[in-house]
Amino acid sequence: MAISSLAQRALERDGLGPIRDTVLSGERISDADALRLFEATDLAAVGALANHVRERRHGDLAFYNRNVHLNPTNVCVASCKFCSFARKEGETASPGYTMSVDEAVEKVLSRRPLGITEVHMVAGLHPTLPWEYYTELLRRIRAAWPELTIKAFTAIEIHFWAEKYGKSYAQVLTELRDAGLDTMPGGGAEIFAPRVRRKICDDKATADQWIEIHRTAHRLGIKTNSTMLYGHIEQLEERVDHLRRLRELQDETRGFQVFIPLAFHPEHNMIGKAFPKPTGYDALRTLAVARLYLDNFDHVKAYWVSLGERLAQTALAFGVDDLDGTVLEERIYHMAGSTVPQALSEKTLHELIRAAGRVPAERDSHYRILKRFETAAA
Amino acid sequence: MAKLRAAAVSFLNAWPLTAGLERSDRIELVLAEPSRCAAMLEAGEVDLALVSVGGLPGGEYEIVPGIAIGADGPVQTVVLAGEQSPAIWDEVFLDTASRTSHVLTKLVLDEMGVHPKYTLLPAAEGLARAKGTKGALVIGDRGFDVRANQVLDLGREWNRLTGLPMIFALWAARPGRVGPEDVQELSRAAQHGLGIRTELAQRFAAERGGDPERYRRYLTQRIRYGLGPYELQGLEVFLERAAAKGFLPPMKLRFVDDVVRSHKPRRAVSVDAALQKAADGGRLDPDEAAELDEKAPLLELGLAADARRRALHGDGVVTYIVSRNVNYTNVCTTACHFCAFYRPRGHKESYVLSREELAAKLDETVRLGGVEILMQGGLHPDLGIEWYEELFRWMKRGWPTINLHALSPEEIWHIARTSELGLDETIGRLVAAGLDSIPGGGAEILHDAVRRRIAPLKCSTDEWLTVMRAAHRRGLRSTATLMFGVGEESAHRVEHLARLRELQDETGGFTAFICWPFQAANTRLVPGDGSAHAYLRTNALARLFLDNVPNLQASWVTMGGGVAQAALHMGCNDFGQVMIEENVVSAAGTSFAMDSDEVERHIRDAGFSPARRNMKYERLAPASAGVAG
Repeated sequence: MAISSLAQRALERDGLGPIRDTVLSGERISDADALRLFEATDLAAVGALANHVRERRHGDLAFYNRNVHLNPTNVCVASCKFCSFARKEGETASPGYTMSVDEAVEKVLSRRPLGITEVHMVAGLHPTLPWEYYTELLRRIRAAWPELTIKAFTAIEIHFWAEKYGKSYAQVLTELRDAGLDTMPGGGAEIFAPRVRRKICDDKATADQWIEIHRTAHRLGIKTNSTMLYGHIEQLEERVDHLRRLRELQDETRGFQVFIPLAFHPEHNMIGKAFPKPTGYDALRTLAVARLYLDNFDHVKAYWVSLGERLAQTALAFGVDDLDGTVLEERIYHMAGSTVPQALSEKTLHELIRAAGRVPAERDSHYRILKRFETAAA
Repeated sequence: MAKLRAAAVSFLNAWPLTAGLERSDRIELVLAEPSRCAAMLEAGEVDLALVSVGGLPGGEYEIVPGIAIGADGPVQTVVLAGEQSPAIWDEVFLDTASRTSHVLTKLVLDEMGVHPKYTLLPAAEGLARAKGTKGALVIGDRGFDVRANQVLDLGREWNRLTGLPMIFALWAARPGRVGPEDVQELSRAAQHGLGIRTELAQRFAAERGGDPERYRRYLTQRIRYGLGPYELQGLEVFLERAAAKGFLPPMKLRFVDDVVRSHKPRRAVSVDAALQKAADGGRLDPDEAAELDEKAPLLELGLAADARRRALHGDGVVTYIVSRNVNYTNVCTTACHFCAFYRPRGHKESYVLSREELAAKLDETVRLGGVEILMQGGLHPDLGIEWYEELFRWMKRGWPTINLHALSPEEIWHIARTSELGLDETIGRLVAAGLDSIPGGGAEILHDAVRRRIAPLKCSTDEWLTVMRAAHRRGLRSTATLMFGVGEESAHRVEHLARLRELQDETGGFTAFICWPFQAANTRLVPGDGSAHAYLRTNALARLFLDNVPNLQASWVTMGGGVAQAALHMGCNDFGQVMIEENVVSAAGTSFAMDSDEVERHIRDAGFSPARRNMKYERLAPASAGVAG
């Protein structure tokens, strides 16, 4: 499989010929190559190369799922400076909330008529809730709706609970898995570099701990997602370092399903004033470079809630094969100033995907295709 | 081909819609009294008829979109007359001619708390008996001559009641009889008739006496002929209220299909060869362009367009302008289906900016480092060339350094028509008064099959280009635009680009090309593909096809900064405007905002160096002070 002569020419012109050859031969590009790609300003040429890899893996398919978000609490002891969602317990000016298990279960079940296949559940680091709150929540949802995939809890929560309740990561994860947890989201990775972590989130799990928790999950048969929060104080080298650590763990475990770069959103949090939101250009190049560098990842996702529909659709030409889902009830990005709709209808997702010349494919949480929509419904 | 038969009334207000059909080879016109028109339509003696709105319910008719006879204030020819105030009327004589007016009479009097007895009576007799506590409804051309103590203009009353225009009549067709080409013919006829309203007024005065100037004002200022979003809303509210009160049976509006599909065969074209040729600077023909538009992958189009952008603007500079959009009025008679900005003249949200408001905007523009005013408005029926001349002179006196980039071709035609001047003279006078350059708005899709469907009363493709040609010849520069995603085909977009390229070969007057998608919120037109992909593709294709237009603007206002940055890598070399105000697009639901710092950050982040420019795309020295906010 080749790439067009226009793309060839553009890559040669920018001195990206050797990287192109590496990619086309199916070899792995180096950290230096990734940095070179980040710094290249020929977006269309880098995009064409990433698109080549994407089409080699997935052809014209573009994946999405039907999911609902549930944040049972936003009370959190951590003080991440990029977060607009969390509240401290006892805060009165803008009080937090905590749902009872009954409320949370009912909320999920109320979405049943919508044909969703996955609940994406993330909580805060709650100082007083008992361990049984979480296992009970999982068990109740699992019992009430057996076929629903429960994708729940970030490594940050797992680490917090392990410390708080005196359990090992493996114990925490095993108990959650036995209670009904199927897969894990990739949140809390932020940027692995200690310099950055110290500045933006110094009181939560370290990079090593994040990696160790995902390694443990993978060993227990729990597939996980991976993320990178970019566009704040990190250097491009630190993005490459982040990607390298993900690629290394993936070589070891093959447990990551997807990589999702998350654009930092500046409103209503503590670092937003100093750092504007990364531009769409940055989103597109980050997605494209990730597609080229993470050769052992099946999927790269453009999270439309963060990017907006227009940019997410554009990303389908820049290495992206997944647009996340219909995402009912998203709160975290919306509290950080996201103005995109709270949910996209399946019809709208199909239209966006088709207008990008791709074929919509509804997937489950394990990226098995549930239905391909080859032609538009009448 | 057998002609369609169309029945219409011979009232003056119908003339602009029917005059252009007299020599039509598609449609045969049959003139008749209003009630007879409806009867012929019902009996199938004609295929379509210009009928009173009140006659629609019950007959399964399809409405011809875009055209109607209505009013957005006083109408003069639908009035209630009497000796005493309507408040004390106990009987009203209804002219037998029009059911719509009966219903309107009842709705208006009902709202006033007046519930008289209604008696059918021919108008002349009714008027004669409208004494004391009796009133009479008078419609049609008789209304011009009504002399009575109390005259209640029902157009004005409806407008007061609802803030909406009143639609009296429209073309209704028997189902399946009228095709898209016939709709085009009716639109073409309307456009022709609206262009000769002065002559029609004179002809009417010659036939039946009276003041031609009064008739001209009636046709140009009282009656509106568009059926856009507001007019449709007026129509729907009328039908709903009438149904709620039991005056008419409820009904749902159905429209004739007006999409003309092109069937032009295309020669076989190799996508790769065409891309390579275009990237190398070769001139694409329309078949090649249409093939690329439909088949080339986004990034391939983008890479080819980027090669052209590098050849034309190799220094890596991306320009932008700091300017202010001023929409001097939102009153417009054109009623385009895609417009959410316009208001009918009598509407409570209609406005014409005052000098004080304009002065404040101009002062602020200068203070914020702006170098240009982009001034556009609606087609206001009351504003003649003197109004514009005075305005321009006043602006040039007070703010001599500001470039006056104003008046789209549509507005220039409108000024020429309302002022009864030739095009060259109109442009000459506007230039003498201070006009510096003209924006390329209102081009939409320069293909009449599309144009007539989305904006039946807007100037034709040839008219749009004629204004541009005349302006360029006078030394004015202009931009050129395209609005896609209105359900057009690639052949239509390519035709648009081809017409622009042809004129540019002749005049060289276009400085830049700008495209954006149709935005559907608050309008009724069903959108086509207005996605980011479609935007980037259209832009890239334009960069390849328009080999003689120097600049391409990325439209971050409609697409957002990220997609606009991608456009910089796929053909665009300009980041548009840091704008101090924008009304038209935001009325249809887009709300991206950037100041000049943010614009420069986007340009730099995408790998380019920012530079400010003026309308002629001359780069300006970095601003010493004043950053647009």
